[in-house]
Formats: sequence, C-alpha cells, structure tokens
Amino acid sequence: MSRDLVRIWSRRSRAGFAGVAAVLLALTACGGSSGSSGGTKTYTIAFISQGTSNSWAAQLDAVARKTAKADGIKLVYFNGQGDATKQLPEIDTAIAQKPDAIVLVPLGGAADTGPVERAMGQNIKVILCDSTITSTNYTSLVTPHAETATVPLAQWLADKMNHQGNLLYIGGLPGNTTTTTYDQGFNSVMQKYPDIHIINAGNANYSISTAKQLAATAIASGRTFAGAWGVGGEAVTGMMQAYVDAGVTSIPPIGGNSATNGTMRLAIQHTIQVASLQFPPTSSQVCIDTAFKAAKGESVPKSINLSDLPQYGPIFPPLDKYYKSQYSDDMYVGTDSVLTFDELKAINLVK
Amino acid sequence: MKAFDWLAAGLRLSAFSASPKPENSDAPSLSRSSPATSPTRPPSRLRSGYQAISSSWLRIPATVRGYGLPVGATAIVAAVIAVVEPGFYRPANLHVVMQQYAVLGLVTIGQVLVLLVSGIDLSVGAVMNAALIVIALMNHYNENLLLLSLVLCILLGAGVGVTNGLLVSLRDVPPFAATLGMTACVQGAILVYTLGIPAGNIPAALRPVALDGIGIVPYSLLICLAIGLIVVAFLSRGTYGRMIYAVGRSPEVARRVGISTTTVRVSAYTLCGIFAALAGIILSAYIGYVDPAIGGTYNLQSIAAAVVGGVSFVGGEGKPAGALIGALFLLALLNVTTLSSLNPFAQLIVQGVVMLVAVSLFHLVKRGSFA
Repeated sequence: MSRDLVRIWSRRSRAGFAGVAAVLLALTACGGSSGSSGGTKTYTIAFISQGTSNSWAAQLDAVARKTAKADGIKLVYFNGQGDATKQLPEIDTAIAQKPDAIVLVPLGGAADTGPVERAMGQNIKVILCDSTITSTNYTSLVTPHAETATVPLAQWLADKMNHQGNLLYIGGLPGNTTTTTYDQGFNSVMQKYPDIHIINAGNANYSISTAKQLAATAIASGRTFAGAWGVGGEAVTGMMQAYVDAGVTSIPPIGGNSATNGTMRLAIQHTIQVASLQFPPTSSQVCIDTAFKAAKGESVPKSINLSDLPQYGPIFPPLDKYYKSQYSDDMYVGTDSVLTFDELKAINLVK
Repeated sequence: MKAFDWLAAGLRLSAFSASPKPENSDAPSLSRSSPATSPTRPPSRLRSGYQAISSSWLRIPATVRGYGLPVGATAIVAAVIAVVEPGFYRPANLHVVMQQYAVLGLVTIGQVLVLLVSGIDLSVGAVMNAALIVIALMNHYNENLLLLSLVLCILLGAGVGVTNGLLVSLRDVPPFAATLGMTACVQGAILVYTLGIPAGNIPAALRPVALDGIGIVPYSLLICLAIGLIVVAFLSRGTYGRMIYAVGRSPEVARRVGISTTTVRVSAYTLCGIFAALAGIILSAYIGYVDPAIGGTYNLQSIAAAVVGGVSFVGGEGKPAGALIGALFLLALLNVTTLSSLNPFAQLIVQGVVMLVAVSLFHLVKRGSFA
C-alpha cells in the first residue's frame, strides 16, 4: 500500500516538476530586457524618476506610465525618492538590467554624470529629462532653455518694477541644474538694470513652507520691495502666502517658474500680478517618446527644447483662463493637456 | 550683563588652560590637572582669581548656573544683533520670529524629553507632515471636522511616540534606528494614502492660532510657552522629572530603585510625538498651504536647539528652559542671516560657525567647572 502511494506520489511529483519547468522555460523565453512576439519587439525602458516626493513627480510619473502604455513599451520604474544620493544606486541598478534605453530625471547634475557615462559606455541610450548633467555624453536632453523659459518672465518683472528698486529673491535647490538654468536666464536680464537691487532671502529648496518663512522674514525687515522672484512654483506660492498673511495691501509683482493651479488661485483671489512659466510635468511624455525612438535605432536630436512645445511657455496676467477650479492646487498648469479628467482624478488632482 | 561677564571669564580661563606652561617656570597654571590648592605650587594672583571666580560661581543657585551659558549667549547675540541688524527689533519682525519660534520651541521641548532619557527622535518632522495631511484631507470640502482632525493629529503623534518608545525600551532598538524607521513608515503611509499629491486645504478657522494674538504676541507662542512652563515645572520639581533624569543618567540604577524605565521612556517619546503633532498643527496654521514636506528641517533644528541650550546627547543632563533659549538663539541666528541679505551659501557658513562656537563655548565653560 505504502509502496503504491510512494510510486503515485513520485509520478505526480515528476509530472508537477515537469509542468513547473515548462512554465519557467516559457516565462524565460518571454522575459529578458526585450521580448518579441510575432516579430514585434517589446522595448524595455528604465524610467529613473525623481520619485515619490511631491506632486510634481507624481504627475510626471503618471504621464510617463500613460505614454509607455500608448507606445507599447515595457516601463521599469526606479524611485529616486526626491534625493540625489538615493537616486544614484537606482541608476546603477537600472544599468545592470540592460534596458534598451534609460530616461533619467537627474537630481544631482555632478553626481549623476559618472553613472550616465557608464550606461553610454554599455551602449544604453540615455535621455535626460528636465535637467542635465555635467557632461555632454548622453543621447538626448529634454529640457526648457533658460533663455526662452525665463528671460520673458524676468523681463516682465523688470519692466513692472520700472527697472529700479529692491527685488526680493528666493532661490531653488543649490546644485540642481534646473535651478542654475533658471538663474542664468534671470541674471541675464537683471544685470542690465543696475538700479534693481536683488535682496537674496535664501534658498527655499522647492518647499512652500521654507519659502513662506523666508519671505515673511524679508517682508518684516521693513524693506520695501518693488518686485519679487521665486525659483520654482513653490517659492512663488510661499511668497504670495507670506505677503497675504502679513496684511500687505499692495503686493508687488511676482515672477517665477512652474505655475500651479494653487499659484493661479492665490493670484486671482488676492489680485496679485504674477508672471509664471507654464512648465507642467508632462515632459516625461516627450522623454519616453524620445527614448522609444532612440531604442528603435532612430536618430533623435541631442537637445529638445520643451519651451517650443505648446503646453510650455510664459504666462502673464490676466490669469483667469489658466485657473481650473475643478482641480486641486497641486495640479501644474498644463498637465490637463495630457492627462484626462479621470486620469487626474485617479491621482488625487480633482477636487 | 552678569551672564556676559561669566562667559568672558570662562573664555579667559579656557585660553589659559590651553597655553603650554614653560618648564622650570613658576608661572601659574590654570589647568584643571594642576589644582590651585596643590601644596607644591605657590599661590598666585591668577590662581586666587580663578578660585574667587569659581567660588562665586558656585554660590549662584544651581538652577541659575545651568542657564548661564544659553542666557549669556542669547544676551551676546541680542547685543550683536542690535548693532549688526537693528531691523531685527522691528515689531513686525519680532512677530515673525515669535510665530516661527512657537513651532521650533514646541518640537524642541519634546526633543529635550527624549534626549534626557538617552534617546533621540528623528520622526518629529514626519509627524508634523502627517498632522498637516490629516488636517488638509479631513477639511477638504468643509471645516466641520476641524476639531476631530486636530484630535486625530494629537492621537497620531501619541501613537508614533508610543511605538518609538516601545521599540526602544522593549525591543532594544537603538533610538536612532527606531525613529528613522518610523519616519520611513509615516512618510510611506502619507505617500500611499495621498499618492504623492496631498489634495485638501488648511481651514481658515485654524489660521488665527498662528496669525493672530495679543499685540504682536501670537497665540501659538502663548501655547508654546504655557507647555514649556509646565514641562519646566514638572522636570525641576516633580517626581516625574526626577525619574526622567534618573533614567537618563543610569537606567540600571533607576531600575534598582524601583523606577519603571520602560514607562518613563515611553512617556518621553509619547510626549515628544504629541508636541510634534501640536507643532505640525501650528505650522499648518502659519503656512496656510498644503505642503507635504512641512516638517522638513525640524528634526535637526530641534536637536541643534537642544544641544546649543546645554542638553547632552548622553542623557540625564540639561534643562528644557535652556533648550528653549537655545531654540531662540538658533531662530534669531537664522532670522538675522536672512535679514542680512548675505549670499545664501555664506549664510550657511555663518550659521554653522556661530553654532559651533556656541556649543564649543558651552563645553569649555563646563570643563572649567562653570556649570
């Protein structure tokens, strides 16, 4: 009896193992960095994002996933957690997977240079998204250009200030190439006007809370500001909130980058003259599309200027047409040009 | 002014201690390794000066002595500020300083309690972020749930604190690792719940807590000072305070005399969590905008304020009032560097150097028997 049982069990075990082996073999055949079925290759793109850190990154990721789905790409997501040091090992892990292309949102221009060059050395196409590195050894750079992105805004502010007076400045994130790019455009305008005195209140590191505290201190110092400039939508929002809370009745014109729905709301609600850059986190659409083309062997431009695209560009008062009351403050102006109402709802952007 | 004198005396003594003594010289030494009472050394004017200063210092009540350096440092800073950046004393600026101090002060009080039991809490920033998210999401459409959301924030802070305390006390997880792990858990929970996009808004009814007040003194500062006074009273006079210090100085001895070290540690972490939640509520009221990274710098700032205020990392040493003065010192420093319009990079250097000097001075004075 027991021998029969052993025999039956052995037979079943052998059959089971054979089945598992067959499934594993089939999976192996279908897997790998790029699979092919019926002659159509599925390209694998590693998306090394800024990662779970803020609403900008969340919208960037949502657009990337949507684009990858539409292109039929296998998108492997790597989470930078909003920190250059945490992003570095993610880049190395991505390179080790041997994807067909990498889309990187660089958080540390200098730090990311080595890994990007290693990837290029292994014939992996690297698309830099929104920010750059300290080398030109990459496949393509997708970013707004300082001149086209920032100069019109800075010029608007200088004109509003009649080219004189104190200007309250709150910076972005030191070392971040996007911050540097915006600063270059801003400085290229302001250096033409020696009567504009820039009062640097510090770096807000793209934090509304820090920007508000810095601006509140600067406003309370008793200086009169003829204008204000913030690197990043967070700095602009923090400055507006500080002016409103300080009870200042005539708030000076404010210029800055990355307009959010909340920026528009505050500006309209408190009648503040704000010029901002419409720079939605939809750049990942262009980045993924470019990576797809590069992976297929098509030629891609070394540099793609986002500012040439319709959803990017400076926006000036009146701002009513940019504010969408059905969406939350966190939506960047222009994101709804790529994501539908339902897709925005799925990521908490609908009120 | 008294404190200023003592600080100057401390500096002079430190300078003497550091200078090498020439061989075969009868020159007096003020090094602690050669006591002034040594029979092999003839008395000198300097040594007797040291003795006089030391004995005068020791005649000052211990409570007053403990606050000597923070008060002295703050007095110096106040005097320097008056010269360098008189705009600091404008009522509008003092109002801003008080608004910001209320937040840092509350977090620092909690951090002191944890530091006193040989711990450290790196999750205060995460609790502050979580408090903001709770308030923003619960009051998304109307403000009917404001009170409930505030209660939930406090409970959340207490929950995080209890968990930290239990991990440290019962599971022997190092405080650094336990609270850092808790930070990751809380931040992760926030991201999972909000998908990285914290919709909602800060209710208008909450904002007067930070924006309004009596004269230029915001209500938030009154809350902070009231809590600070209660904690100071409990730590300096009550049984609970004695237990906190006992557990921080020697958990083994505390256990032998019948103190439940677990209860004391858990209570310290719990209070720290509650105060962090309160600080998160007040900061939300002050900022008035949903910023999920609102508590970003408060972990390190609260620790820095406590250390500048004389609280030791090894536990059982330091006073909450000193830490509150340390917080004021730190905030005044940040405020003045912002007002100065220095290059932001230079601002960081100035802040770092001044803090290092302040902490070094504290330890020099301590080594010179001045604390």
